[in-house]
Parts: sequence; structure tokens; C-alpha cells
Amino acid sequence: MISRIKGWTLGVVQPIADWTEERTGVVTMLEHFLYEPVPKRGKWLYTLGSATLFLINLQFLTGILLLFYYVPTTDNAWDSIYYIMTDVYFGPLIRGIHFWSANILMIVIGMHMLRTFFSGAYKAPREINWVIGVVLIMLVTILAFTGYALRWDQEGFWAWEVGIKIGSYTPFVGAYVATFLLGGDTAGPATLARVFVIHVWLLPAALAPLIGIHLYLLRKHGEFGSEFEYSKRLAELRERQQIEEYALYEEGDEDSRG
Amino acid sequence: MVEVRRGPVEKGEVITEENVYDRPDETIGFFPSQIVADLAVSAALLAIVVALSYLVPAPLTEPVDISTTTYVPRPEWFFMFYDQMLMFFPGYALIPFGGIVIPTLVFILFFAVPWLDTEPGHSPVKRPFMTIVAFLIILTVVFNLLLGIIRILNFPGGSP
Ligand code: HEM
Repeated sequence: MISRIKGWTLGVVQPIADWTEERTGVVTMLEHFLYEPVPKRGKWLYTLGSATLFLINLQFLTGILLLFYYVPTTDNAWDSIYYIMTDVYFGPLIRGIHFWSANILMIVIGMHMLRTFFSGAYKAPREINWVIGVVLIMLVTILAFTGYALRWDQEGFWAWEVGIKIGSYTPFVGAYVATFLLGGDTAGPATLARVFVIHVWLLPAALAPLIGIHLYLLRKHGEFGSEFEYSKRLAELRERQQIEEYALYEEGDEDSRG
Repeated sequence: MVEVRRGPVEKGEVITEENVYDRPDETIGFFPSQIVADLAVSAALLAIVVALSYLVPAPLTEPVDISTTTYVPRPEWFFMFYDQMLMFFPGYALIPFGGIVIPTLVFILFFAVPWLDTEPGHSPVKRPFMTIVAFLIILTVVFNLLLGIIRILNFPGGSP
């Protein structure tokens, strides 16, 4: 029975796979991406990176869904969120996921950063991936901050005000920073438009390609994991080096005796 | 191209400084072993956020009233340590330092980590300087976060 099912599935799947492979090469590509050997020991620690990726994608997805109803004008923003929370099918779920996943993302991305730091995964040749990581965490933080203001409720708005106040203390360019974030001299419709553009267009557009480069570099160099996964090879190296040092020392000894 | 890195020490392979990190002692396939772990964690996280969105709905306070003068906003929890640290930089002369200059320096420090760390070895034990600095930063953040939470609990209506 099982062998018949197997034969039948192969008979259906194989031609489709072959057909697709001939036209796109996607099967070889999948094989190439999937059959990469990765370090065994830290398996669960390395899920922090993919968890970050998962939550970011959840943010993209629920963010797009929220945009079906969210209206970025000072008159309607709050009402549109209220509507999402009360009348929209699955509205509280979609907004809830966007909110909670953002909060958990801050924890997970921090843990991912700590993990790569403590395992020394930023050392050559992976420096650039660390640098991109720092940019990513900055972008994610600004995303979280701008999202807070998009609610256009008292809490988010006055927190945004505080942010602008702090920004206005930037040495030399403070006044420009404040004007940029306010979209004028005082808070008003232009302010919300700014926050909206930054949160919905600017930062995601910057984030997505950087994540792509992060993952490309990861695959280029391979997952490093941590030094503890190289203990056998390191021991072997040390042993050989010691034998060589000893040999040199013996040689020197003979030379001095003449 | 991605180099294929298989297996631990191969017979007859001479391990040098250059190739010692080429491949770990033991590997698993990205597919299926690592992917299964990744999916398990992602699925758990999804379950948590779905449960939370029904148990603790995302907050929404009163609509904006620009004429209010008394509203005391609370930062989100991940900004609380920063908010708390600003308390140590009172007045117009110091706020630029606590609010902008020091955070900028910290991020420059983060960017420079791979080049600041000249200690050989990857294990945290082998580079005590970086490890101690990191722990100091973590302590500062955690300590200020706690201070911030305590302050907010003590002054629910707004702090002095
Ligand atoms: C949007 C945010 C991010 C995403 C989606 C992401 C994703 C990933 C993934 C999937 C991996 C491989 C699995 C793992 O090692 O955990 C990885 C590795 C890495 N990430 Fe990230 N990451 C992000 C942010 C960061 C940050 C903030 C840093 C540090 C400042 C960072 C530094 C690194 C480094 C150095 C590696 C290589 C680790 C190794 O080879 O052992 N990443 N990232």
C-alpha cells in the first residue's frame, strides 16, 4: 500500500519537478539552499536569528493588513484604529499580533545580538554582518518608536513630543531635526504624515534589502556559531603547533651545543 | 559560491590557523534538523502573540488633544532605561549629552566592535576585556530599566 502511494506520488511529483527545474532551475536552487551543513551544538541558540526574521515578516504582513483600514490623517487616524479594534473581522487579532510581535521582536533581536556578541561571531570574515546587524537594530528601534505615534492617541503623541524635544537638543543641527520630525514648526497634520511615511515606507524599504544582505553574507561565510564547536580541530591545531615548537627548541639546543 | 563544509577532522588533514574554523566538529543539515528547530520556535512565538492579542488587547488611549498641557507620556518598556538615564542629565547643558551624544557614541562603539576586539579567540573567556565591557553595558541597561519601572510605579500620575 505504502509503496503504491509512494510510487504514485513520485509519478505525479517527479514530472512537475522536472518540468519546473528545466524552465527555472528552482529545484537545484532549493537543494543548494536546503542541504547546507550547519553546526550541531548551538542549534537552539541559532533559532534566535530565524525567530527575528519570522517576527519581522509577521510585522510586514500584519502591517500591510492594518493599512487596509488605517487612515493617516489627524482627523481619522484614531477613529480608524478604534474601528479596527471594534468592527473589523479579526481586527483585534491583526493589531494585537502587530503590537505583541513588535514587543517580542525587541527582546528577540536583543538576544540575537547578545548571542552573536558572546560567541564572537562578528570576528573576521563576518565583520560586515555585525555592522549590518547594528543598522538593523537601529532601524527596528526607530520603527517601534514611530509606530507608537501612529496611534495618534494621547500616549503615543506625547511620547513622540518627548522624542522630538530630545532630538531638538542634538548639538548644532537640533533645530533642523525637530523641524524634520514635526514637518513644520508645530505638531499638526504634517507631523502625522511624516511619522506615517517613515514607519510605513522609509524604514521597511531600508530594512528589507539589508536583511537580504545579512542573509546573503550569512550563507557566504556559513554559520559560525561559536568556538566551542571547533574544540576538536582547535585541539588538533594546538597539538601540532606544540610538537613543532618543541622540535624547533630541540634543534636550537643541538645548535648551541655545536 | 558557498563552500561546502562537511564533517569534523578528516584523516590526514593538516589543520592550520587558516582552516581551523572551516568546519565545526559536528554538523547537522540545515534541512531538516535546523529548519525543524527554527519552525518550532517560530510556531511557539506565533502561538504566544495570538494568545496575547486576545488576552491583553493592544492598548489605545484617548484621542490626541494637542491643547493638553498636563499629559505625562510613558515610554514603551524598551525605552524606559533610556528615559531613566536622562534623569542623570538634568538641565539644558547636559541633556544633549545624555540624550544624543552618549547614545551616538554607544552606537559608534557597537559599529566598531569587530575592530576594537583585538583579543585572539572567539570564546568570551578568551577575550575578557570585551566580555567585561559587555556585562557593564548590560548591567547599566537592566539597572536603569528597573529604576525606571520603580519610578513609574511610585509616581503613577507623573514623576517630579
Ligand atoms: C532584522 C533583524 C535581523 C535578522 C532578521 C537577522 C537574521 C539572522 C539570521 C537568520 C542569522 C542566522 C542564524 C543565527 O545565527 O541566529 C543571523 C546571523 C547573524 N546575525 Fe543577524 N539578524 C538580525 C539582526 C542582527 C543584529 C542586530 C546583529 C548584531 C548587531 C546581528 C548579527 C549577526 C551575526 C554576526 C550573524 C552571524 C552569526 C554566525 O555566523 O554565527 N544580526 N542573523
